[in-house]
Amino acid sequence: MSKYKLIILRHGEGAWNKENRFCSWVDQKLNSDGLEEARNCGRQLKALNFEFDLVFTSVLNRSIHTAWLILEELGQEWVPLESSWRLNERHYGALIGLNREKMALNHGEEQVKVWRRSYNVTPPPIDESHPYYHEIYNDRRYKVCDVALDQLPRSESLKEVLERLLPYWNERIAPEVLKGKTVLISAHGNSSRALLKHLEGISDEDIVNITLPTGVPILLELDENLHAVGPHQFLGDQEAIRAAIKKVEDQGKVKDSKK
Amino acid sequence: MSKYKLIILRHGEGAWNKENRFCSWVDQKLNSDGLEEAWNCGRQLKALNFEFDLVFTSVLNRSIHTAWLILKDQVPVESSWRLNERHYGALIGLNWEKMALNHGEEQVRVWRRSYNMTPPPTEESHPYYHEIYSDCRYKVCDMALDQLPRSESLKEVLERLLPYWNERIAPEVLKGKTVMLSAHGNSSRALLKHLEGISDEDIINITLPTGVLILLELDKKLRAVGPHQFLGDQKAIRDTIKKVDGQVKVKQGKK
Repeated sequence: MSKYKLIILRHGEGAWNKENRFCSWVDQKLNSDGLEEARNCGRQLKALNFEFDLVFTSVLNRSIHTAWLILEELGQEWVPLESSWRLNERHYGALIGLNREKMALNHGEEQVKVWRRSYNVTPPPIDESHPYYHEIYNDRRYKVCDVALDQLPRSESLKEVLERLLPYWNERIAPEVLKGKTVLISAHGNSSRALLKHLEGISDEDIVNITLPTGVPILLELDENLHAVGPHQFLGDQEAIRAAIKKVEDQGKVKDSKK
Repeated sequence: MSKYKLIILRHGEGAWNKENRFCSWVDQKLNSDGLEEAWNCGRQLKALNFEFDLVFTSVLNRSIHTAWLILKDQVPVESSWRLNERHYGALIGLNWEKMALNHGEEQVRVWRRSYNMTPPPTEESHPYYHEIYSDCRYKVCDMALDQLPRSESLKEVLERLLPYWNERIAPEVLKGKTVMLSAHGNSSRALLKHLEGISDEDIINITLPTGVLILLELDKKLRAVGPHQFLGDQKAIRDTIKKVDGQVKVKQGKK
């Protein structure tokens, strides 16, 4: 294995996953499936004898709880854990909380496909009239960020996710990886994809077709310039992994084919 | 309320509490009562509208899980061995009867009740020695593995805790941050002794209830402006203190 490596993880299900609604910055909890996915992930990492030096999460509770459950399985609750908004899920703006049908109704299916599948098209911003606006922006966690509250995103493309994630990677995470520390990043579907795009040099066109399974530890080996030395690898029981990938892809197909 | 304040919490029960065995540095989990105590504590805090800026715990999972249950999420948590429970050396894992058998009741009372008497150290032959010292958490401390305690008096607990208080915690309190320490019976007592100026003789008689939030208000020199206060339903707290005192009496009375 390369001297420099990273484990990235996409947390498991919350209630809105089953309803096909974008959770994004709404601070939803993991449901019982999501909790179990986190524990399984921990068990996988334990079987592989991972000893983490540092854990990074977003400020959304589902990424933190996933990390806690993994650390508990490993008996490594004491490992330092740091949370940043810069690892948050992509901000879906006005689309937050809407399900597929509602979105297609409001904006037209073709437009919604573009927002979901493009790399650099930003959905309409969330505004004060949005049902979840105040729940998000009144929360104290966004008053103590390294960016003023009114400067935080109101909507993002995947490109914009990477733009706000990269300074955190460069300043906080990368230096630790370069010290040879074993780092776990407990993140979200799009923030994980954005980081992998950067580290693996995946093109704007290709990244939209990459879906990460939930609750599966993703290993990325890096060279001394912190470029990937090969494609990311899923760790653990390969059959279970294939099933997890299929599950996420099938959910994507349901989303795309429902009219 | 004073500008500078601190919340300290002694975590709840683990399995060995009921068996009257010293858990100390053995990394035991909270039992269902201990988990419930943490949940209750979280509810109390919510009712009091406390919002923490920082939380400090030991590296023992029961103090971390207590903090996690109280917080629900995203307040920075920092863990240090310097907040660990008192190291009971060779007495770890033994219950009252066994200890009295091995060392004599009077000697055990002295170890438990004195401020500066250190029990015999744990050695490689001790059933829990390797479980403790092989764990990677003790390889990344700010002290080398072979320099970490093998036994401690309450005085020695304070001696290793104080640098951490002075360098990491106190500066945060002085910035006006709302800080919680999720700690253990003896590490909490040691810190309160220091901040409240409790004498060596008096500290022995102070028992802290489990799962009850302890508020200490401090002046700008970080000395207590009054005795520590227990937050929450006062009757429930009196019952909890009674329960802990009762357990101590059982430990002391049984022959």
